[in-house]
Amino acid sequence: MKSVIQILLVVSLSLLSAFSSHAEEKISGAEVINNNCARCHNARAVHEFSIPEWKVIMPHMREKAHLTGKETQAVLEFLELTSQSVPLAKKVAPEKMIAPDGKQLFTQFGCQGCHSLKGDGGTVGPALDETIKNKGIGFFIKKLQNPQFNNSSSPMPKMPLNEQQIKAIAEYIKS
Amino acid sequence: MDTSAFSARFVPIFLFSLNDKMHIEAETEISVDENGETEVELEYADIHYFLSDTTTFTAGKFLLPFGQYGPNQHPSWINRSAFSPGIYGGLGGHGGYQPMQGLLPVMSDIGVGIQHIIPLGKNQKIFFDVYMTNGLAAEAPHDDEEDAHDEEPVQDEHEEEVVDEHEEEEDEHEEVDDHALELPELAFEATSADNNSDKAFGGRIAYAFLPGIEVGASYYTAKYDDDEKLGFTATGFDINWIGNHYIVRGEYIKTETDAFEEDEHEENKVITFDRNGWYLQATFMAGKMFNVLQGTDFVVEYAETNKINEAERWAYGVNYWLDSRAVIKATYEDTIVHDGEDDKRFAIQYSYGF
Repeated sequence: MKSVIQILLVVSLSLLSAFSSHAEEKISGAEVINNNCARCHNARAVHEFSIPEWKVIMPHMREKAHLTGKETQAVLEFLELTSQSVPLAKKVAPEKMIAPDGKQLFTQFGCQGCHSLKGDGGTVGPALDETIKNKGIGFFIKKLQNPQFNNSSSPMPKMPLNEQQIKAIAEYIKS
Repeated sequence: MDTSAFSARFVPIFLFSLNDKMHIEAETEISVDENGETEVELEYADIHYFLSDTTTFTAGKFLLPFGQYGPNQHPSWINRSAFSPGIYGGLGGHGGYQPMQGLLPVMSDIGVGIQHIIPLGKNQKIFFDVYMTNGLAAEAPHDDEEDAHDEEPVQDEHEEEVVDEHEEEEDEHEEVDDHALELPELAFEATSADNNSDKAFGGRIAYAFLPGIEVGASYYTAKYDDDEKLGFTATGFDINWIGNHYIVRGEYIKTETDAFEEDEHEENKVITFDRNGWYLQATFMAGKMFNVLQGTDFVVEYAETNKINEAERWAYGVNYWLDSRAVIKATYEDTIVHDGEDDKRFAIQYSYGF
């Protein structure tokens, strides 16, 4: 009986592997964090560890959380992105600067991996639809500048965004 | 009667990435027992070899993927209660005495395992784990009653006592669920040696619809005596359901433990003890809904064990997260033991994960 069960499991596994989808679309590291970390514990703030440390931690979490290698890599890329310093664009003279695209930044920094907007997105963070309306633009800007300012347990990473970029994201969310 | 007590544990985790394919992890637990002696335990020490994007080979001492609590949720900075679920026994999931005798400990053993992940479109996955380990053994008889409280697992009392107490059982009894019977005592501690040639075999298959739901089924079987005539089998079902403001976790476990019983001709006959139990833990993350309660969780848990050593337990807790890795937990539990003394406990726990 045990042998029959083992054979059935192997056959089932093979069939599932054969028919499973392997979409080549880019994996969002923020979405992987949203979907997997909260299954066991609170998501951890990016700044708790350096990138070399995350590179050792993530293979550990890959096995624990049943992540694929591609998902693990996507998380590391997201962590590297959010660990960058604010771009030099901050120093560019305003008259020469092209207005940043809030929607593009929202996508680039994977905001919707953890926050929902207009019904789509993750659940680790609160929905963003009413944030500015309810708490004001000042709160929004401060939150992006220092995500832990109002909640020390927030896992939100500090994004490398300058003031113009933060305002552009705020305009996109309000629209 | 103890009215108050303090304890402390230090559980460092060591991680090394040798290269893109190989990763080493180890966790030790250093604690002080009730006699003031320092205990050091190697919880796991294993190497992962990432065979492909979706398949991982593991060798060494590792946490067995049975259910979700043992391999993933038992660390105190992850478990939302200060107590482990009743069906896992012990305080905090690492052994110790509690009035509700669990069905399984957090199992860690030496052997090999394979993990395979099957992505099924966006946000859906099937997790597949199989493993083979040295397995368990019969606990050596001992006379000291206090020792029974030190055992990490669950299955209490001696095989010899089972034989003595139930000589008069009828021959046709092959499955036993009498409340008065005593279970054989099994040793789940991992050892580098094996008392027989039979290896423990088990695995878990789970379906995850991320980020909200994961359901799984687990199986574990092993012969535990020197002659490979007595077996232990555990079957489990688990669920982990996560929403914006809540987490619901639960597991059902059924165990079957063989033991010898002498018949009227004084010949040994194998009988099987059935036991089962379940728990359901609900966490309301109030801080996500009400700003004034930021960092606060409310937890309620119900657990029961059936057929042998029957008991039921309610636990109520409040947690306050100082940040995402540090939590203060206050938990009250009330256990009703059907054939024993009821128990009430209150614990405050500070836990820091790093």
